[in-house]
Amino acid sequence: MLTHYMDLGWRSIRKTPVLSALMVMAISIGIGITLISLNVFQLMSHNPAGERSSVLHMTQLWSQGPDSWEEYSANLTYQDTMNLRQSDIPVRSVASFRSGGAIHAEGSDAEPEMRSIRVTDSEFFAMFSVPFLYGGSWDKSVDMEAAHVVVINEDLNRTFLGGGNNVGKIIYLDVTPYQIVGIIDHWMPRPKYYDVTNGSMNFAESIYVPFSLTPHEEFPVWGNTSGWQFEPLITYNDRLLSEKTWIQFWAELPDEDAQMQFSQWLTSYVEQQQALGRFTDNTRTSWMRLLDVAEYLTDSEVVPEDNRIMIGLSALFLAVCLVNILGLLLTKFLKRAPEVGVRRAIGASRRQIFLQHMVEVSLIGLLGGVIGLVWAWFGLTTLADHLGMEEALGRLDPSMWIMTPSIALGAAMLAGMYPAWVICRTQPSVYLKSQ
Amino acid sequence: MLSMKKINKVFKTDLVETHALRDFDLQVEEGEFVAVTGPSGSGKTTFLNIAGLLEGFTQGEYTLDGVNVSRLNDNQAARIRNEKIGFIFQGFNLIPDLNLAENVEVPLRYRGFNSAERKRRVEQALEQVGLGARMKHLPSQLSGGQQQRVAIARALAGEPRFLLADEPTGNLDSLMARQVMELLEEINRNGTTIIMVTHDPELARRAQRNIQIVDGQVCDFTLYQGGDEPQAARA
Ligand SMILES: Nc1ncnc2c1ncn2[C@@H]1O[C@H](COP(=O)(O)OP(=O)(O)OP(=O)(O)O)[C@@H](O)[C@H]1O
Ligand SMILES: [Mg+2]
Repeated sequence: MLTHYMDLGWRSIRKTPVLSALMVMAISIGIGITLISLNVFQLMSHNPAGERSSVLHMTQLWSQGPDSWEEYSANLTYQDTMNLRQSDIPVRSVASFRSGGAIHAEGSDAEPEMRSIRVTDSEFFAMFSVPFLYGGSWDKSVDMEAAHVVVINEDLNRTFLGGGNNVGKIIYLDVTPYQIVGIIDHWMPRPKYYDVTNGSMNFAESIYVPFSLTPHEEFPVWGNTSGWQFEPLITYNDRLLSEKTWIQFWAELPDEDAQMQFSQWLTSYVEQQQALGRFTDNTRTSWMRLLDVAEYLTDSEVVPEDNRIMIGLSALFLAVCLVNILGLLLTKFLKRAPEVGVRRAIGASRRQIFLQHMVEVSLIGLLGGVIGLVWAWFGLTTLADHLGMEEALGRLDPSMWIMTPSIALGAAMLAGMYPAWVICRTQPSVYLKSQ
Repeated sequence: MLSMKKINKVFKTDLVETHALRDFDLQVEEGEFVAVTGPSGSGKTTFLNIAGLLEGFTQGEYTLDGVNVSRLNDNQAARIRNEKIGFIFQGFNLIPDLNLAENVEVPLRYRGFNSAERKRRVEQALEQVGLGARMKHLPSQLSGGQQQRVAIARALAGEPRFLLADEPTGNLDSLMARQVMELLEEINRNGTTIIMVTHDPELARRAQRNIQIVDGQVCDFTLYQGGDEPQAARA
């Protein structure tokens, strides 16, 4: 019977092509707009750390003086970073910041390219579950004694070295040769949760070099540098000694015990530093905090308030479309009352008439959903291409494949329920004699 | 077969109450062919709608095929309409978007027959009304008489116990009307009980039994046999 209802519904849709097209368009635009805002929300509110979300802790310090910033800086100073790396309480700890430079390889046809680089510690890859194709991270000893080693991603490997296992080969950052120790597979956490401070939806970097090289190589900082007091940075060393904050510090703390211990360690560290004349904001009682990934993403407002408002507005818009469709359906169905009268007379129950019309409405909804998906795709691409939305946001999240039919069906049924109910209450005798 | 006792039907609109049927009593036996006549507005259609479970009534008791059908819910009524009753209307009431075979198939689908059974019955019914060769035509491509024959085929396909016809020849010229009448007579000979409302005294005379409704009541019924003159008239 269901296939029969679909057949009837489809005939009815084709019988009034203009009206049907109007309804499908209205619903598709409503759905398209809803999908765009949901898609953006979905991508932004995703927590890519999964199970490890509660284990990884972003460490933040209130190193600013009184009467300056009113919140924690997302980043740490170089001196604090170097000191925190001394603690052996975290199972793993990783300092990192975003840099960049010109990449090329000897004997490669590829032109040198400017690429962003992550300067970090050896355990970055284990900490954030980065998959390796070949090789692995550099040795832990390199974190103390700098060496010119590098981990690159598969894309870069293909572009500059033609792909394959190129561990041991050399690539150049600007003019300095680095030996490749590992090649990572495609890896694109969204949001880029290990550092959301400059573009939470940007792609992960394609090159990773040891943090210990920072003072030697004087890597430029492509991320944010913030300062709460006036400090001219003439030389790179000025930066290293300054109170400027620009480095993310992650600690892996597997349980509450470890978190407690590390907090205590940080508290006593701050006390030492206060003895040296830093951490001068005495209005505070605590100068440090640990945020797990979920807290970090919330605190960094990866999902802006605007986005929630957008979802509300698009739902409202969809509702307006639905009210329109409700009216159109009511007219269309009532025109069919004589036919329904006949069907009722020759044995259709109200339920069967109701179902028949709900199936027709669902077909309209699904058609609207498919076209809505096209609108959404088109809209997202346009937003990404022309309005400077971050590239990763211009993609349809796989969840939309489930979301779209549910919204489309739900919306259509909502709009169709009343018209279908009205028509199924048709009193057959009224229409039989009047023909 | 059909028994109505003191049926009352009152239509209430904002302004007036119409007493369409008043203490309506009627008994129809299995296999009868009953013609119903009466002035316009006397309640013939109302009676037929109630008999066919298309409408409820205000008071009284209605037994159909040994079952009290006075107070049925929508589902039960739909089921009985589907299985036991065939309808033929003055306006044919075919569904314009469906071809002949599909029109005849509609009640069979609600009945839940499988497609082989539906096909068999559709072909047989259309064959019986002489339209077996036109299964794929649309109703609009047929003459009025042909359309009415399709409606009869639709009513027949479910093999109902009981055929209700409201002025089935009202929209037809006399030749076509006679053909339709002959078809109904043949159906009746095969054992189906028929109640037919008509304004045409000639057609009415061909029925086994005539009843007249005046002002919502059965006022007179006459038994005709073999087209002879009325033999008896009771009040
Ligand atoms: N749905 C309704 N609402 C109100 N009054 C109605 C309704 N249906 C019928 N009536 C009234 O009930 C009475 C009987 O109507 P009915 O249709 O049964 O007459 P009829 O004998 O079939 O007439 P005709 O020969 O003209 O078809 C009429 O007075 C009519 O106005
Ligand atoms: Mg009538």
